[in-house]
Amino acid sequence: MIKLDRVTKQYGTKTAVHELNLDIPSGELFAFLGPNGAGKTTTIKMMCGLLFPTTGQVLIGGYDLRREGDRARQLLSYVPDQPFLYEKLTGREFLQFIADMYGLPRARAAERIAEVIELFELHEFVDDLTERYSHGMRQRTVFASALVHEPRVLIVDEPTVGLDPHSVRRLKDLLRQQADRGTTVFLSSHSLDVVEELADRIAIIEHGRLVACGNLKELRARAAVDGSLEDVFLTLTRHESEPANRPR
Amino acid sequence: MKLVNQALLFHRLRLSLLRNSWRATFGQSSMRPLVVVLCSLVVWGFVFAISWGGFLFLQMEVGVPMTGDIVGILLDLLFLSLAVLLIFSSGLILYGSLFSSAETAFLLSKPVAADRVFAYKFQGALAFSSWAFLLLGTPILLAFGIVGEAPWYFYFFLPLYFLGFVLLPGALGGLGALLVVNFVPQRRKQVVGLLLAALTAALLLWIYRIVRAAPTDLWRDEMREAVTRLLSYFTFTRSPLAPSHWVSLGLRRVVRGEIGSALYYLALVWSNGLFLYLMTAVAASWLYRRGYNRLSTGGDLRRTAAPPTLAPAGESLNPPTVAVASSLRREPWVDRLLYGALPFVHPSTRLLLVKDFRTFRRDPQQWGQILVFSGLMLLYFTNIRRFVENLEGRFQNGISFLNLCAIALLLCTYTGRFVYPMLSLEGRKFWILGLLPLRRERLLQGKFAFSMVGGLIIAEGLALVSDLMLMMPGEAILLHALTVAVLAAGLSGLSVGLGAVMPNFRESDPSKIAAGFGGTLNLVAGLLFLLLILGSMAAPWHAETLLESTEVSGLIPKEGVIGFGMVVGLALGAACVILPLRAGIRALREMEF
Repeated sequence: MIKLDRVTKQYGTKTAVHELNLDIPSGELFAFLGPNGAGKTTTIKMMCGLLFPTTGQVLIGGYDLRREGDRARQLLSYVPDQPFLYEKLTGREFLQFIADMYGLPRARAAERIAEVIELFELHEFVDDLTERYSHGMRQRTVFASALVHEPRVLIVDEPTVGLDPHSVRRLKDLLRQQADRGTTVFLSSHSLDVVEELADRIAIIEHGRLVACGNLKELRARAAVDGSLEDVFLTLTRHESEPANRPR
Repeated sequence: MKLVNQALLFHRLRLSLLRNSWRATFGQSSMRPLVVVLCSLVVWGFVFAISWGGFLFLQMEVGVPMTGDIVGILLDLLFLSLAVLLIFSSGLILYGSLFSSAETAFLLSKPVAADRVFAYKFQGALAFSSWAFLLLGTPILLAFGIVGEAPWYFYFFLPLYFLGFVLLPGALGGLGALLVVNFVPQRRKQVVGLLLAALTAALLLWIYRIVRAAPTDLWRDEMREAVTRLLSYFTFTRSPLAPSHWVSLGLRRVVRGEIGSALYYLALVWSNGLFLYLMTAVAASWLYRRGYNRLSTGGDLRRTAAPPTLAPAGESLNPPTVAVASSLRREPWVDRLLYGALPFVHPSTRLLLVKDFRTFRRDPQQWGQILVFSGLMLLYFTNIRRFVENLEGRFQNGISFLNLCAIALLLCTYTGRFVYPMLSLEGRKFWILGLLPLRRERLLQGKFAFSMVGGLIIAEGLALVSDLMLMMPGEAILLHALTVAVLAAGLSGLSVGLGAVMPNFRESDPSKIAAGFGGTLNLVAGLLFLLLILGSMAAPWHAETLLESTEVSGLIPKEGVIGFGMVVGLALGAACVILPLRAGIRALREMEF
């Protein structure tokens, strides 16, 4: 469903992502880890068509994002770390706008909006202007809008920041359910406990290069560490951070 | 999934946003719309009265026909300057909204065509950048129509011409923004800066040539020859290829009742406007996503930051003066000069002042406008001697007072446009200042000192040049200096105080903060203060001097009136510093963040 084929992205003379290959099938919950500045957000922006690879190809559902961007974007939803809401729209108007943008027929849109309002418990504030929402309310509204058109790919960047434990639990259940229903979930996060609990496969990127990719067992073997994901991550990224291993 | 009509989708979005904004702004209080409408009406009425009087004077006293060449040149100039302003303002607004707003990042991650996003943003930018013309341009054109006894359909043609015309500079500005971002993404600021500098230089040169050539001849030569010579400097505005000239010609044809010709020029304006817009939209479909990508990734991964300015290791941070002084040693000389020039201000206040100055000088959009206005004034003042050499003293007296009024207006604009939004611009980062170990009133004192010092340097300099060029007596120079100081203090107090009482932490665009309710109220209060100060402090001296040789001279003791005016002015100035600042400090102390 998501395929990155030898993707390189350069910012001026510096390489943010180097020859990255990923192949993520439908229904997989794929976690993407890396230290700050490793190239995670750049990769995600290329997967949404916000940025173009310097070389290589990004395919979503078989569509090349550069040549058939609108078709590819029709299949996906992106929830950034700092999500956007129109301050002068109510939550319901925002959901309707998104449903219209993805071309949902009126009746189906109404049905889906009612479903996501129910799912994310938005009843109490969905008819207020979003400028009055708290962080949690905004996050729930953004997730509702991301799922209203039933995307086949859900890309989520740091979804747990600023959420209370109840909301985090609800979010984890939701992401798992989406993957179980066949949606490809691409999760970028620094919350290693969340990733450890949820992810089918995990990729670790550092200095723009893929350090390791596989399930937790495979990563433990790669790192030669029999501990938590945190231990594995620290071991793999520490080795990669050593001067001799840095890309030149 | 059905096929989406994206144009309709964005149209509905805009309507919803406008409706909700209207309800949120005007739904709760009837005072706010009333004040906004009243202020707009006052400004509109003032411009209309001046224009109407001006056109009447031209027609009745000078015998200039409304459909003739001289009025044509005035209209050509009006539309040409509007076009230049619209090119830059729509270009800059579009650049901001297309490439650096959170909304466009959101929209570009959706299945929306790039040219549709462009069209949606283009409409917003054009509406925002041309509202000022509606407020200031319509009264001029309506006055022109009334004095020229235009037929009824002139008022029908007017909005049609306007709408068609704004498409041209708007599309040109948008195309410029797309090209700059796509082809010189890393040097975009330099390119725009160079363009603005070249334009300003050309404008200054043109004004200089007019001022140098016209005045002496006007009084000595035959009027006709002098006017003909003067008009030769305006020929470039009358190029048959200039859309501003098509509008000017078209409107004059409507006044003359030549509908066929008026329709021809209207079609010319609209067809060219639509064609250029179409070209720009096509360019956007090719270049918008590409430009967004280039702008995001054209530079280095990280921006180079200035070296850290922490105090050297081992140096005490308490008292702050030591750390500040040592850190400033590595700072640019202007920051050090500012810090050192105000030893009487508390060190933490000075630190905030340097921070505000640094933010201000690193944003050319802020100081560029002040520089252009001040430059134009300075040019006018330095050339004014040529006018006054042959004038009587009473004209000299009147011109010096009018110059003082112009300087006061510049100060009012500076404080309203740049100082009032300063506290609001701290925005969501306000908690940083709120948590600093200093008394909150120091924040306002810092902004007040910044505004006052900046205003004084510009305004006192201009006032001195104006008075020296007009060969005004020493007492007038002193009086003007004092008036300007009171104006700078009072206007700074008002803007800083009201800015703290009515902050808008959600908005990051200073022009929008200044144009909001609080900004408008501040502007009205500033104008009122300005009138009172000029009326009480400067007007009595000028009136007395004017009446010296007349019969009424001596009826009222000169010193008494001027002295009384001084006391009133100083008291008013003190009140406008103390009361708003006190209210601002109270609001700031109670502010939660």
